[in-house]
Amino acid sequence: MRFSIDGLDGATKTAFENDLFAIADTKFVLGNWYAHSIMNGRSLPDFAALTAMTGAAYGHTRSLWQYLVNFGHAYSSIERGRGADDIRSMNMLDSPPTSWPDFIAATWLAEQATWLAVSGYLTCPDRALAGLAEKIGEEAYFHLKYAEGWMEILSGSAADTRAFAAALEKRYPLALSWFGTAKGSDVLKKAGLRDIPPAKLKKAFVAEIAKGAAWTGKAVSLPDATPEIPGWIGANRRAGPLPDRLFEAIRFRDPEAAH
Amino acid sequence: MKRKKIQRKREIGGASPKFYEVFARKTSDDPLTHVGSIEAPNDALAEVRAWYIHDEHDWRELCVVPTAAIIAVTERGRNVKIKEV
Repeated sequence: MRFSIDGLDGATKTAFENDLFAIADTKFVLGNWYAHSIMNGRSLPDFAALTAMTGAAYGHTRSLWQYLVNFGHAYSSIERGRGADDIRSMNMLDSPPTSWPDFIAATWLAEQATWLAVSGYLTCPDRALAGLAEKIGEEAYFHLKYAEGWMEILSGSAADTRAFAAALEKRYPLALSWFGTAKGSDVLKKAGLRDIPPAKLKKAFVAEIAKGAAWTGKAVSLPDATPEIPGWIGANRRAGPLPDRLFEAIRFRDPEAAH
Repeated sequence: MKRKKIQRKREIGGASPKFYEVFARKTSDDPLTHVGSIEAPNDALAEVRAWYIHDEHDWRELCVVPTAAIIAVTERGRNVKIKEV
């Protein structure tokens, strides 16, 4: 039987839509992080990698936004019609990077979190979304590899190791919160839309970050409990609106030039 | 973000950058062919840079080899097509 979003019950449809918005908008802000950091690349090949990752992150964002049109939204309103209150990106990306180790830590956390969330849809009955998840996974591999390569370089300096560990300690709790506090199964798994519930995705995230940050030794201490964030809005998977400066940096400016 | 400060030796490779040779084939019938060289401080970034810089085709196979691992047989010390280490 052909998959149809209209065949989902109201609660499932809303949870599905919320999850996809959280992933797409996080990738949107992440893409802007890459775009704004291109000139901080260390060499010409580094600029090329950051430019390509910018393009890939925007590509993932726009593909997911395009998919969200199926929920009754006009694409133009998703891309251009939303204010700082409506963007549902991860709080972890609200504050700009303060150093290169901080940039690597933050983008690594965001890439890892979004990829794990997307991986839940690899077996989605809607083959369009499953195919999109597969494509995002192929590209996320290189984004994560980029972070891995840079962590290897940072590990060669005690000062960079400390700076990376400090950035991770500051940003990790906010990335962990993005997965929510639900335990056990969820409506999307019950409906067969994804095969992994958020609690398991969060567990996988914790394990991946602990493994990936092991090189920092005792320099980093990551909390195992999900912190409570004041003003948390469950549907948006974030607290509060986007900070003004961030919204100004990412907002859509020139529709005529876009298409 | 603070002013950009590059540790040339660690982040770029200093005066002796590390090179990798990039090989690729478009289909499984094609021979693996040398398509270029890239510079990278380590294997992980070499993989990433090869993927992004040599994206002119949808390769069936793409791989990198540290130039230091290549032993020249006929072109020892002269006119080599790959960068000398």
